[in-house]
Amino acid sequence: MDPEKVIICRCENVTLKDLLDAIDKGYTDLESLKRYLRIGMGPCQGKYCLILAASILRRRLGKNYDELLLPKNRPPLKPIEAYYFLKPPKEAKDLEV
Amino acid sequence: MVMKTRIAIIGAGIIGVMIARFLVEKGVNDIVLIEKNYPGSGGSFRCATGIRASFTSPEHVEMMKRSIELWPILSEKHGFTYRRDGYIWLLSEEEHVEMFKKIVEFHHRYAVPTKIITPEEIKEMVPTINTENLLAGVYDPLAGKADCFRALLNTLEYVKNKGAKVLTRTKAEKIIIKDSRAQAVETNKGVIEAEKIIVAAGYGSKKILKNSGVDIPLENLPKHALITEAYKPLFKPLLIDWSTASYIIQVLHGGFLIGANMKEKPDTIPVNRIEYLYLAVKIWSKYFKWLPYTRILRYWTGYYVMTPDHHPVIGPHSRIENLYIATGFSGHGFMMAPSVGEIMSQYILGEKLSVPIAKNLKLERFEKGKYVKEIAIFG
Ligand SMILES: Cc1cc2nc3c(=O)[nH]c(=O)nc-3n(C[C@H](O)[C@H](O)[C@H](O)COP(=O)(O)OP(=O)(O)OC[C@H]3O[C@@H](n4cnc5c(N)ncnc54)[C@H](O)[C@@H]3O)c2cc1C
Repeated sequence: MDPEKVIICRCENVTLKDLLDAIDKGYTDLESLKRYLRIGMGPCQGKYCLILAASILRRRLGKNYDELLLPKNRPPLKPIEAYYFLKPPKEAKDLEV
Repeated sequence: MVMKTRIAIIGAGIIGVMIARFLVEKGVNDIVLIEKNYPGSGGSFRCATGIRASFTSPEHVEMMKRSIELWPILSEKHGFTYRRDGYIWLLSEEEHVEMFKKIVEFHHRYAVPTKIITPEEIKEMVPTINTENLLAGVYDPLAGKADCFRALLNTLEYVKNKGAKVLTRTKAEKIIIKDSRAQAVETNKGVIEAEKIIVAAGYGSKKILKNSGVDIPLENLPKHALITEAYKPLFKPLLIDWSTASYIIQVLHGGFLIGANMKEKPDTIPVNRIEYLYLAVKIWSKYFKWLPYTRILRYWTGYYVMTPDHHPVIGPHSRIENLYIATGFSGHGFMMAPSVGEIMSQYILGEKLSVPIAKNLKLERFEKGKYVKEIAIFG
């Protein structure tokens, strides 16, 4: 398949070609690829693309899992409308600064 | 492993990378960057990307003004986005307006073109804002923002193409000093001998220097930030709600990034607290009625690496030869990085400083009690 037509990260529109080019340039861990290509920075938070990218990285470079530097999952795990945070529950402390 | 290099830089944050960049630009390519994790993994990839010269000490103003001259040059050369989108401080109390009038006067003395603006003028620049509670704003048209990821990564790529080496996942433990001369960096992977050693490791600098017999007064202050999904461009300036010292910025990619103050003790490890989301949403929903309908994408924490006078430590050590330090940026290291890179390269190569007042920022000022003075602390 044409690597320019294979989408690796749908949220940020990153193709397989983008990924392979970045790996060739020396971006060989997921943390750096995330900032360089924005892979995993969109609404899915990397649920699909980072796993795909991880397996491609492993295949190309023979790195072990440890060396891939899988980014941390940040809360909220799924994008959430800000209005859920409009009214704090009574027990919430530290709200006034 | 024993390695030899002309220049060893500890820390591949925006500061270490910019120092390397200004050195290779002058033909010095024999550089090794030592990074305990991966480049950008400290403060640099967590920042809000804001850039301004509207500070309240001559040292900050002059360093940032030089940076603002350099940002567009770097952006063009290294292909990352930088824009002069401005900052606006939102003022809702009479005493704040009075204080800012004095600050604006100070800025004008240093040719920083800030001005007090009316709520109507704020609304022209930020069309959807509710200005009901506002008395005035302070506008800084020279301020702006840059893509913090590409600013670091593209510049680093350039530096590597010129021959500099980057050792990732390599931790510097101490600097080997003999006869008051820095000679080598001891890392967890071996020793790196160098003619000049630069410590630019953020808060990590404190431990490296301590292990080498040098004290530096740094504190790690936890900070919280969130970003929403990306939306179409809505307003350009970074906004600061002065009464809560909270800010919102639509970053160049389109997300709204909010920073707000939570009570935190220095040198503690921050944890995610749901209260933070309530606080950030509460402050900014008063200004923007659409804010509750945006979707929060990520919430993270990071640190401001603080010094006692909230100004960085930049320059050579006064007694140890070949040892240079650039850390303690107190929340403003991203914007200052270009001029810091330039100044450090000038110190290292024995050139004249492009910002002479930078000489006040050396570590020795704390021993001599010569703290940097500000007319007011804000932002
Ligand atoms: C939420 C938030 C918002 C911010 N917003 C802004 C803003 O809008 N504008 C602005 O100008 N600044 C902002 N800042 C501050 C800015 O991020 C920092 O001042 C800047 O990134 C500092 O760069 P640095 O290179 O000194 O540090 P870092 O990026 O932390 O780099 C230091 C590097 O040294 C490495 N290191 C540490 N110890 C060792 C060791 N022993 N051996 C080897 N390597 C080591 C670390 O892994 C790290 O990569 C913000 C900070 C935060 C947390």
